[in-house]
Amino acid sequence: MTSTPSTQSPHGSPSLPKASVGASAYLPTPMRITRAVREIAEVFTFEMETPAGFSFRPGQFNMLYVHGVGEVPISVSGDPGDSSRLVHTIRAVGSVTRPMEKLDVGDVIGVRGPYGAAWPIAEAKGKDVLFVAGGLGLAPIRPAILEVLANRSAYGRVTILYGARSPDLILYRSELERWRGRFDVKVEVIVDSAGRDWYGPVGVVTRLLDGVAVEDDDAIFLCGPEIMMRFLVRSLKERNIPEEAIWVSMERSMKCGVGLCGHCQFGPTFICKDGPVYRYDQVARLFFAREV
Amino acid sequence: MDDLERVLRAHPFLADLETEHVRFLVGCAKNVRFRGGEYLLREGDNENDLFLIRQGTVAIEMPRPGGEALTIETVGPGDVLGVSCLTPRAAHLDCRARDTVLAFALDNRCVLQKMKDDPRLGFALSMRLLERTYDRLSRARLQHLDIYK
Repeated sequence: MTSTPSTQSPHGSPSLPKASVGASAYLPTPMRITRAVREIAEVFTFEMETPAGFSFRPGQFNMLYVHGVGEVPISVSGDPGDSSRLVHTIRAVGSVTRPMEKLDVGDVIGVRGPYGAAWPIAEAKGKDVLFVAGGLGLAPIRPAILEVLANRSAYGRVTILYGARSPDLILYRSELERWRGRFDVKVEVIVDSAGRDWYGPVGVVTRLLDGVAVEDDDAIFLCGPEIMMRFLVRSLKERNIPEEAIWVSMERSMKCGVGLCGHCQFGPTFICKDGPVYRYDQVARLFFAREV
Repeated sequence: MDDLERVLRAHPFLADLETEHVRFLVGCAKNVRFRGGEYLLREGDNENDLFLIRQGTVAIEMPRPGGEALTIETVGPGDVLGVSCLTPRAAHLDCRARDTVLAFALDNRCVLQKMKDDPRLGFALSMRLLERTYDRLSRARLQHLDIYK
């Protein structure tokens, strides 16, 4: 994989067969990588050409298939307003994503999807919107942020809080800086620890909530490690925010993507079909359960 | 003195404390100012003061031999430094002003004496210190989990 963005295949690969996503729930559509970007350590982004008619809603995911290796569920992290490109940001941690990391512009990935429930962006119109993300959790929530910013006048105050392990592990740093430069968005970034060349706040992401006005009719979207979301939910409930105002994105091992195989069963629901985005009150009793 | 009492009462740590108690504490308090880069406290120093931060940012740092200090938390207006003031001990971290920091420094020995003299004040301050200690412990535990790994 290249470390710098490029837009054309250097390999002169043959043209892809035409297929539309969703033609079969089990049949991957081959899509060619048109851009590969190293984001941070172990994390990379692929952009792919999409077939005509492709669209997704913020929060949905695709099953990405590396030929001869296997398939993994990855949230879409691109702009829902741009249907020509499919964007996925991926951490190389497993037996599929590590070989995937070695792919480059011009290589082909099999794509099934998009699957799952979306962030309720339309329902949040007219409300103040608070996004809180941690680590790689900024990737699945990015399409929702982009959609809100593209329709900025339809929303009240927009706040983005983001926590990362250290300054060098801040995802989409230049984009966060760009958002922060806008007059109509509040963006705060905090890191768990840092050297003296970091001038922002240091501590846990829940700390950022202290500096934000949150009302009980806000739309609050949380995405990141489950432990982080549990701490955030506790903090929000201490501030009397109703469970119905909070939305969370859950993560389990999705396999079929259509609610049949049971790999991602979460209580009475399947995360691939009923999630990954849930209104918090729908999963509250499972959220703190020891075994689900 | 009246001014000091008024601004002391405005600090979140002392909010809702009874008027007589705030007045009682005024004698233990002084306004302090640190320029960016100055230390409120250094590792190994005796913790003589409880700092109520009014303005600016303080970096809590772990000095590393031969290397740059690691910042593990930053605190700002409304926060408190020195929550172990009831059981004073040598500081185990550096507290460095990142920019100009204004704070109240409450002399630990003075505060402790007043808490003994007035157990109601003692209880009220102990509860506040416990709450801050618990908050900090929760944050430290969450950091320790290294959840973004």
